Amino acid sequence: MSGATGLMWLSKRETLRVSKLWTQTILAPVISSILFILVFGLSLGGRIKQVADVDYEVFIVPGLITMAMVQAAYSNNAATIFQARFDRYVNDVLSAPMHAWQMTLGFTVGGVFRALAIGGSLLVLAVPLVGVPVERPIALVVAVALGLVLFSALGLVAGIYAEAWDHTTFIQNIVILPLAFVGGVFYSVDVLPSPWHELSHFNPIFYLVSGLRYGFLGESDVNVWLSLGVTAALAVPAYLWAQYLFSSGRRLKP
Amino acid sequence: MFKDTAPALELRGLTKRYDDGTLALENFDIEISAGSFFGLLGPNGAGKTTLISAVCNLIRVTSGDVLVFGEPADTLLARSWIGLAEQDINLDRFLTVRETLVYHGGYFGMSGEEADARAEEMIDVFGLTAKRDVRAPRLSGGQRRRLLLARALMHRPRLVILDEPTAGVDFELRLELWRYIRQLHSEGTTILLTTHYLDEAEELCEEIALIRGGRLIARDTAEGLRDDFGVNRLTDVYMKAMEVS
Repeated sequence: MSGATGLMWLSKRETLRVSKLWTQTILAPVISSILFILVFGLSLGGRIKQVADVDYEVFIVPGLITMAMVQAAYSNNAATIFQARFDRYVNDVLSAPMHAWQMTLGFTVGGVFRALAIGGSLLVLAVPLVGVPVERPIALVVAVALGLVLFSALGLVAGIYAEAWDHTTFIQNIVILPLAFVGGVFYSVDVLPSPWHELSHFNPIFYLVSGLRYGFLGESDVNVWLSLGVTAALAVPAYLWAQYLFSSGRRLKP
Repeated sequence: MFKDTAPALELRGLTKRYDDGTLALENFDIEISAGSFFGLLGPNGAGKTTLISAVCNLIRVTSGDVLVFGEPADTLLARSWIGLAEQDINLDRFLTVRETLVYHGGYFGMSGEEADARAEEMIDVFGLTAKRDVRAPRLSGGQRRRLLLARALMHRPRLVILDEPTAGVDFELRLELWRYIRQLHSEGTTILLTTHYLDEAEELCEEIALIRGGRLIARDTAEGLRDDFGVNRLTDVYMKAMEVS
């Protein structure tokens, strides 16, 4: 017995949950992001014209996709594990013959699946709408993978520590969303005056947005290796934190 | 792999102290033979659910050993041998009756085909055919209780742990559940049952242990307990053991 079958079924359960709630988990964030592209890109695009030699409506697409994906990865995993703890059906998984690493990975899959469904949908819609290119596909894949590991793991950690629903939404609304907004989604941080320009470099989402923007447009505010390095340096400990909670049982088991 | 001569469950020096300082079990030893029907009686807070949770890897044990058919309880093999129906209804709200069973089977290592077939069998046995595609929150209390038991049995465990399976159910369902449990035992499954109903323990269990304050007070057959305590009814045994009379 290796636990591999259990991991497969847990992953399947997490993706099934996303699929069953698709209007809430996929459709709603896709619509809101497309509205951002239409409202900010196509209306403001007429006034702003270009940012770093790129049309404004094209410039904002990578950041909007990043913002939608990280929020989805985080909120999905925070909700799924919190709900499972709250209703205590998490016990069905915790008592099953699976290794702790398999539980961590299985619960992570849902957030990744949901974020990819949203990101993929947005890409499919954004290409005909604004003609966004994919200049560096490998960098894009690596940046997406690192970003999703980071925010899926953070979602799990938050959902495991949360005592109430509003604890998970608090982090999303007070930390992730504002950091995404000031992380260069709608502008290049190069145009910011000091000290905002320097402060932006302390925002982890800025590096993720830059990584994805490099993947899409072939250029970004900072070197792609720095973007990927910073995101990886956060993703690895975040995932290890989630893994520690499953292997030690802390917060999951009294 | 499976040690035929090993007891179904062996607890050695099991201690559990919760983070708030509550000592739920203290140096607890017990051995339950394979194939037996064993009852665990005690008041709320006696340590019954803590004991079960320790066996099922649902709490962090402070110290001591838990062996299931000779294997440490935290190994994957030992976990695959245990089926648990918890006291409270803890069904996945996103899954239908059929999915609840199939996914549980999957978590416990069953292939899709095997899990599908077994789920249909359990749905039939537990009279849930009309509700197979209904999500758990839409089931009645009795149907949820039956689904909980079906889920515990889904992966054909060798040791079935039932934590107050008939708490809050009506008399008819109680008799129905008794019938399922008896049949299960007759097929060779070891059963560990906790209950507050003394008549249930006497009716079903071959052997009964009384626990209080995290310690084992007495252990024997119902008849043996009556003799040991010099009383005629199990209720009186319980009252004496718990020092409430």
